[in-house]
Amino acid sequence: MINSILRFSVIIILLILLQILVLNNIQFGGFINPYGYIMIVLLLPSVTPAWLVLVISFVTGLIIDLFSGSPGMHASATLLAGFSRPFVLRLISPRDGYESGSDLSMAAYGFRWFFIYASIIVLIHHTTLFFLEVFRFTDFFRTILRILLSSIFTVGFILLIEYYRKGR
Amino acid sequence: MRNLLNFLLKYNNLIVFLILEGLALFLLTSGNNYHNSRVVKGIQGITRGIDEKINNARTYLYLREINSNLAAENSALRNSLERIAREENLKFNNVNDTLFRQQYQYTSARVINNSVNNQKNYFTLDKGRRQGIKVDMAVTSGNDVAGVVVGCSENFSVAISLLNLDFRLSARIKSNGYFGSLSWDGRNYRHAVLNEIPQHITVNIGDTIETTSYSAVFPEGVLIGIVSDLKKSGSDFYKITIELFTDFKKLQYVNIIGNMKRTEQLELENQI
Repeated sequence: MINSILRFSVIIILLILLQILVLNNIQFGGFINPYGYIMIVLLLPSVTPAWLVLVISFVTGLIIDLFSGSPGMHASATLLAGFSRPFVLRLISPRDGYESGSDLSMAAYGFRWFFIYASIIVLIHHTTLFFLEVFRFTDFFRTILRILLSSIFTVGFILLIEYYRKGR
Repeated sequence: MRNLLNFLLKYNNLIVFLILEGLALFLLTSGNNYHNSRVVKGIQGITRGIDEKINNARTYLYLREINSNLAAENSALRNSLERIAREENLKFNNVNDTLFRQQYQYTSARVINNSVNNQKNYFTLDKGRRQGIKVDMAVTSGNDVAGVVVGCSENFSVAISLLNLDFRLSARIKSNGYFGSLSWDGRNYRHAVLNEIPQHITVNIGDTIETTSYSAVFPEGVLIGIVSDLKKSGSDFYKITIELFTDFKKLQYVNIIGNMKRTEQLELENQI
């Protein structure tokens, strides 16, 4: 228990640092920006109480907000992702349900499951984030395009890290 | 009472979610002063140290290019100095009055935080009120438009970037002097849009666009970009796409330009 709390604290800190120091500075064509920190919401163990997931995602979002100068934007998007997490998990649960001992990772449930799981959460997060950012519905389809492109990059990034974790 | 408790227990997650989401949305919308919170960030310096470290590393990578730019600028300045000195001598004008003809005051500053990928981009500069920076000063990179200062703390200031949906600038076509309104459409960080140029004017691809002095923020003739695309829209105006001279992705050193006669001009204009 203590062990896994420690492990996830390290994961959370690492992902936040990665987002601030590296990913925030990656700007493909000034259009696409991967937000890999959403992985924190993905990886929290399935036994985490729902309110704790909410608090963690809110605080994570706030920290990212502090560094990108956008108060509340990432916080509300990440919070919505954290809130929808239990529903997504129930929606795509494997036949035998989730084992309380194993992580929600690619190693435990396979590529297909993890890919669907990551895509849904990332799409929810990015949709909220990008619409909150522009805060208007003009150029609706361009915002959609930005959401899709950035989501592809974020999911790709998350899958890369998962492959690395799985291989180790 | 028991019903209420049961209700709270049953929906506790939804309640936590709604409270936190409300808090986040409150933060997001509290005052439209989006940039003010960035100024607060500058003053409190929670993230300042890390921002500066990231930027130091990046600055190092661009040193070669910055050097050559500085050398070019130096020689240009030397040339104009020479010219001015000669004119002064011809007129036997030795009055050493700094306000006699100086209207704009230049301060150089370093960009310590910048973005191009948001729809509303701002950048942070490492000079503030103590160094004489005030709100509404112009920011240029070399001789090209970069933005306008919108908030100052003691030692830092935040400028609204040209790459911001809320940014408006009065700009004109250099060759014929017709002016319009420049804005960014949020698509490409290399392009901006010039509106309100009527269609009876000849505009060519490659024409230079520069600032006017109407806003009392930018000096006259600061370069913006060249016309890269030209469309006749349904209305009476052209839709002109401009390729910007400033590459915001490698914005490093900028000049902050203060108009020393700005208050005088605005006071006069308000009297009428």
